[in-house]
Amino acid sequence: MTASNPIELRRLAPPIGLLLLLAVASLFPVSEQPAGLRLASADRTRVDQMRNLVAGLPSQPQVLVGFDADLGTYPEIRSTVRALLEDLISHGARLAIVSFTPEGRALAAAEIDRLARRAATGGQIAADLLDIGFVAGAEAGMVRAVNAIVPSAATGSMADSIRAGGGGIGAFNLVVIVSGADLGARSWIEQVGSRLPHMPMAAVAPTFLEPELAPYLRSGQLQALLATLREGVAYAEEVPVSGAARDRAITALPMLVGMLVALVWLAAAGVQRATGRIGPSSRRGGLA
Amino acid sequence: MNGLFAADLGGTFGTWIGALATIAVWSYVVGERTLFRLLQHLLAGLATGYLALLAIREVLIPRLVMPLVTDPSHNPLLLPALAACLVLGGAAWLPHRLVAPLVGLVVGASAAFALGGAVVGTVLPQLGASLLGRDLGGAALPNAVLALVITLVVLIAFLRGGPRGRLAGRTAVLGRWLLVGGIGAWLGFLLVSRLALLVDRVGFLLGDWLGLIR
Repeated sequence: MTASNPIELRRLAPPIGLLLLLAVASLFPVSEQPAGLRLASADRTRVDQMRNLVAGLPSQPQVLVGFDADLGTYPEIRSTVRALLEDLISHGARLAIVSFTPEGRALAAAEIDRLARRAATGGQIAADLLDIGFVAGAEAGMVRAVNAIVPSAATGSMADSIRAGGGGIGAFNLVVIVSGADLGARSWIEQVGSRLPHMPMAAVAPTFLEPELAPYLRSGQLQALLATLREGVAYAEEVPVSGAARDRAITALPMLVGMLVALVWLAAAGVQRATGRIGPSSRRGGLA
Repeated sequence: MNGLFAADLGGTFGTWIGALATIAVWSYVVGERTLFRLLQHLLAGLATGYLALLAIREVLIPRLVMPLVTDPSHNPLLLPALAACLVLGGAAWLPHRLVAPLVGLVVGASAAFALGGAVVGTVLPQLGASLLGRDLGGAALPNAVLALVITLVVLIAFLRGGPRGRLAGRTAVLGRWLLVGGIGAWLGFLLVSRLALLVDRVGFLLGDWLGLIR
């Protein structure tokens, strides 16, 4: 610990203060948070798109979940992904889960394990669940999966059903992409969507991918997209999940506190720059 | 609860490890470098071990070893592929002329997949959706014109070496500021993602570890 003098303490105060503020804000019960403070998006267009897509699936649909989230962003979309899986399961979907990234595989394994634990304690279970596992080769692996996605050793009714449907991604009724920074929804659209243009695709993605993925939703290459925290929370609120199974979602108050702190930080930096109290090294590299 | 750990002894152990690791990483903000560095090494070690295990269990054994052992006659390409992998991966002492074509093949194939997908899956459909299938009523036409103007101005900002008059120079400066504005907006999205991650970690400590929130 080096925080022994006032200068050090002044340097350390902001990050520690931020953590304390977030902790206090997180402790505030959701029911006691101000009425106007809602994290769920008021615009339900995308939520309705996703719900309608799931509701419009045929009976016992085969859904492929491309689970390529990454550790750095998964907490943001975790409750949305779980709500979507619940939604699919409650519609009788038969799920197959595949990953093209190692991180995605680790998270997919954890979620499959969670679903198995829930089934063991009497929770709602998928009609059928096939763990396809990790497919190597990145984009080349995706292209190969278009024609052959089931491992030769895979057994069971789901594996047989996919083989009967051609053995590739074309055997599914819907592809749901759990997107991360690497090999996310864009790669799926480029590699799989261009080869199977009639395959419906939906994506759940962290907020920073929203600018990248929104054009695909507008062009119809994605049928549904939940790509901001607020949309995810709104969707998770809409899906009927029993209280015990509901994931602890991120609440509005700590997010608001964090955003306000970020704005104050930004304003302070702007004032420092305007008043010339910022070092010469930071002032180099003007745009003109 | 984040639901990633079971409610048994193993889950409790995992929660404690996760909580202590989180606090150890955060100790960096109070100037504690040793713990942070230790956690970095731990992460690197775990990631390496995990990747090796993943490669062996989910790629090499089921997709290479088992087909070669059980049915070699139906997988004639596996042996040359294995030889190519050995040349690529392990033989730094092999002549450059032998390795280079294979490396070129792998890099070229990867680039072809990425580039081909980008053109067929993004550029052409997005151009089509922007130019052809668009209803230009209401605010759509002004938006489309604005998007075109901003794209051109930003492209001008990237021009190098051409004849530059006063107008082109000012347009380039404007283009760079527009670029900064766009990057700033994207950083705003990134901030929300990272803040959500921090809030979730605080929630993990207070909820899963200390049991103060449900």
